[in-house]
Amino acid sequence: NCDPGEIVIKFSHVTNTDKHPKGIAATLLEQRVNDEMNGKACMQVYPNSTLYNDNKVLEALLNNDVQMAAPSLSKFEKFTKKFRIFDLPFMFKDVNAVDAFQNSETGQAMKTSMVKRGLLGLEFWHNGMKQFSASKPLLVPGDAKGLKFRVQSSDVLVAEIEAMGAVPQKMAFSEVYGALQTGVVNGQENTWSNIYGKKFFEVQDGTTETNHGIIDYLVVTSTDFWDGLPDDVRAQLTTILREVTEKRNAESTAVNNDAKDAIMKAGGVVRQLNAEQRQMWVDVMKPVWTRFEGDVGKDNIMAAQKFNTN
Amino acid sequence: MANTGHHRQRTFTDKLEETLIAIILGLMTIITFVNVVARYGFNENILWALEVTSILFAWLILLGVSYCVKITAHLGVDAVVNLVSAPVRKTLTLIAVVLCIIYALLLLKGGWDFWANYANLPETEGRWFFMGFEEEFLAKGWYETDDVTMPEMFQFFAVWFNEGEPYEKIPRLIPYVMLPVGMALLLFRFLQAGWAVWTGNKTLIIVSHEAEEAVDEAAAKLGEET
Amino acid sequence: MEVVLLFVLIIGLLMFGVPIAVALGLSSILFLLAFSESSLASVAQTFYEAMAGHYTLLAIPFFILASSFMSTGGVAKRIIRFSIALVGHFSGGLAIAGVFACMLFAALSGSSPATVVAIGTIVIAGMRQVGYSKDFAAGVICNAGTLGILIPPSIVMVVYAAATDVSVGRMFLAGVIPGLLAGFMLMVGIYVAAKWKDLPKGDWLGWVEVFSSAKEAAWGLFLIVIILGGIYGGVFTPTEAAAVASVYAFFIANFIYRDMGPLHREDAEPISIFRKPQALVTVFFHPDTRDTLFEAGKLTITLLFIIANALILKHVLTDEQIPQHIAGAMLDAGLSWWSFLIVVNIILLVGGQFMEPSGLIVIVAPLVFPIAIELGIDPIHLGIIMVVNMEIGMITPPVGLNLFVTSGVAGMPMMRVVKAALPWLGILFVFLILVTYIPALSTWLPTSFMGPEIITK
Ligand code: NA
Ligand code: NA
Repeated sequence: NCDPGEIVIKFSHVTNTDKHPKGIAATLLEQRVNDEMNGKACMQVYPNSTLYNDNKVLEALLNNDVQMAAPSLSKFEKFTKKFRIFDLPFMFKDVNAVDAFQNSETGQAMKTSMVKRGLLGLEFWHNGMKQFSASKPLLVPGDAKGLKFRVQSSDVLVAEIEAMGAVPQKMAFSEVYGALQTGVVNGQENTWSNIYGKKFFEVQDGTTETNHGIIDYLVVTSTDFWDGLPDDVRAQLTTILREVTEKRNAESTAVNNDAKDAIMKAGGVVRQLNAEQRQMWVDVMKPVWTRFEGDVGKDNIMAAQKFNTN
Repeated sequence: MANTGHHRQRTFTDKLEETLIAIILGLMTIITFVNVVARYGFNENILWALEVTSILFAWLILLGVSYCVKITAHLGVDAVVNLVSAPVRKTLTLIAVVLCIIYALLLLKGGWDFWANYANLPETEGRWFFMGFEEEFLAKGWYETDDVTMPEMFQFFAVWFNEGEPYEKIPRLIPYVMLPVGMALLLFRFLQAGWAVWTGNKTLIIVSHEAEEAVDEAAAKLGEET
Repeated sequence: MEVVLLFVLIIGLLMFGVPIAVALGLSSILFLLAFSESSLASVAQTFYEAMAGHYTLLAIPFFILASSFMSTGGVAKRIIRFSIALVGHFSGGLAIAGVFACMLFAALSGSSPATVVAIGTIVIAGMRQVGYSKDFAAGVICNAGTLGILIPPSIVMVVYAAATDVSVGRMFLAGVIPGLLAGFMLMVGIYVAAKWKDLPKGDWLGWVEVFSSAKEAAWGLFLIVIILGGIYGGVFTPTEAAAVASVYAFFIANFIYRDMGPLHREDAEPISIFRKPQALVTVFFHPDTRDTLFEAGKLTITLLFIIANALILKHVLTDEQIPQHIAGAMLDAGLSWWSFLIVVNIILLVGGQFMEPSGLIVIVAPLVFPIAIELGIDPIHLGIIMVVNMEIGMITPPVGLNLFVTSGVAGMPMMRVVKAALPWLGILFVFLILVTYIPALSTWLPTSFMGPEIITK
């Protein structure tokens, strides 16, 4: 509970508080702010979409009805198409490459690229690499032909599914489990932690470790709110947020690996691609890059690719 | 105590509003149905179907609530108001109408404030009451919906609201405009209802056992059996 | 403390004859403006999102529409004929057939009042003709009609699923066994009363009548296959199932039964489609189509107006973190799961006296859901308990949708309907206790069909 005189920071997100990488990070942030900034600021976290879902939270943020949120990066395509780079398939080799890109000059510039539209990015939070799961084994792109895949609202992701000859399906997230179970849709893409947390593996033939994309989050605030904070409060918040980010991002890979192990332990099938198969997926997806090159910027793609070599 | 609107002659506006409600619901059904056929029969998906249906759903309610005030279709608790004498009932109902008007005014302000910036217009000032328009604001005419592709013929919107940069998806100002419009209509209908109560043409603004009309019909059907 | 003020304000406003929706919305807005930082724009956003942001709720207009086409289009009539052929010859046969017809219609329609209207309009008059008292007829149908929200599909279950993020398909399955049980209990009750009071029984009309009436009703009853088969067979989501059901009902009503639309004739055999093929086009512009769409639209609007404002109230409660406080207080008090369920039943029964079921669920579900999960109560079981409470709320004054509707179709004053419904209400209460304390009634079918419930805290 907030005391009178404290600056109230409402943080709204869509996951649980103790198992999902984002939820854990938000809970840790809440604890640290409330412990260390007592009397100055107070953070209230609203998990599980109880206050806003990912589609609405940015609207609410711009209205100052919440002060912080961490939607997935696809949601920022509305603000600047540069963010489409994170949805492009096989853009990043692993989470380390994503991390390196986000911390590069190009990546850091993206955080302030939405300021003229009222939004300020504070920190990138990792979830992890995306995998494909389906109602039949997926080893080469041809296996996905004609299957129905649930995708999020994003032109890039739609193009990605179409590139592999599958049919993209729009569907509310809450309906996905039932739809996969009964066969209304045949497959989906997600991180290990989401596939485990939502139990999607139970109703799929298996999951293929494609690591073809990234699900990450950007902690954002409104420029209005941020600029209105006293300097010392803003500085302390920045520090705490930075430390929470470093701690949690370092553990995100472990969270996803644990989820993968748990899936296998629970009887879920996990398939690996050999180098040749993987290259077939990469080749199939290349036209997607070409199509969105204009939105993302060729130089940005090159900057991102640099981090795949090490 | 006939306070259901159904017995009076339906005017041209009534028919217009009823037809509009019917069309919106019909469209929602057809779009959803066609999407199922597309998926099941042709292995395709109409990506915009879900969002358009949701928008129509919101429009159906936002446009429809005012008409339901007009025909006194909203549910309420009539236990108390039906116990008291006619003059007391009139006083209570007039108070109820004033409360409804306050509700509509607040939501009209909220609806405008929510929509305005998406249409590059200023929000109102004041937390409770309208206190003029804000001088500085963040225009959000660029903010697009998720899945509904912008038809080429409507790209002139881009000139008006997006500094000429073409929209990929329809801007949010289009679906959201029904908020202030619907709430303005609601305010209008509550004012009308208030006048009708004041002049004695209406006794309640809620359905009184939802039944009066149905009782009449059933009685007619059963003949003099009752 | 402010929260108490909020609820007192809501009830106070209701007493003046303010619409339920406005009472909920206005109280919430005033509370929000006075005690929080949130803006009026956020209220407007919540209102809009009630419809546009809850894909689950989208099923409601479609289920209402399907139900409207079936009521107008003569499905109810044929279901009743089939029911009489099947069980009409027992003691109290027509009453038992009435309950059976309500159960069948409940399997097509998502709403209780709609079930009462569809079945009651015909059956109550029919029962009077063969010598039942009007009170007996009205009381039976008023009660059996409540099965509309327990036997799937169900609008109230859709609302519960939307409010708590459980699966609609799972909720629908969970309602099957309790729905059959409640219907069976009512039928046994009638049979006993009939033996005791020597109520009229019909004649056995023979298997020929059973089969020919079944054939007639089959077109309508096939909708059960479409809805449940479609959902569980992987053809569509629950929302889509409802839309497909509407289209199917529209087709049956206009082209098979022809009790409405361009091929319908008053007091004459309907026209054949081959003699009037243009009907395939004109049907879309026919006044019957427009009127049915409008009637369904009107119901949807009044219902969603309440739900949207209940969601505004829910938003205010969440914003002020009330559910956490209540949950904390209840858990600190060391409530056991069974005493907690008593509390839930009492809250819902009292709330049901003033509120429309869907609105009440939107408000109460977020308050009790987290506690239920903490106490290890299955979310699906909790949902069914809520639905059964809502059934009882529908036949108790002052706000009882089924009472209103029954008084309408039977042409009886409200208070007489209340008295007539009372003896059968006892059966529902026993049923509520069974459902509350035997979780397996609700959870067995969905668990064996869809695997164990995933509980994410
Ligand atoms: Na039902
Ligand atoms: Na009641």
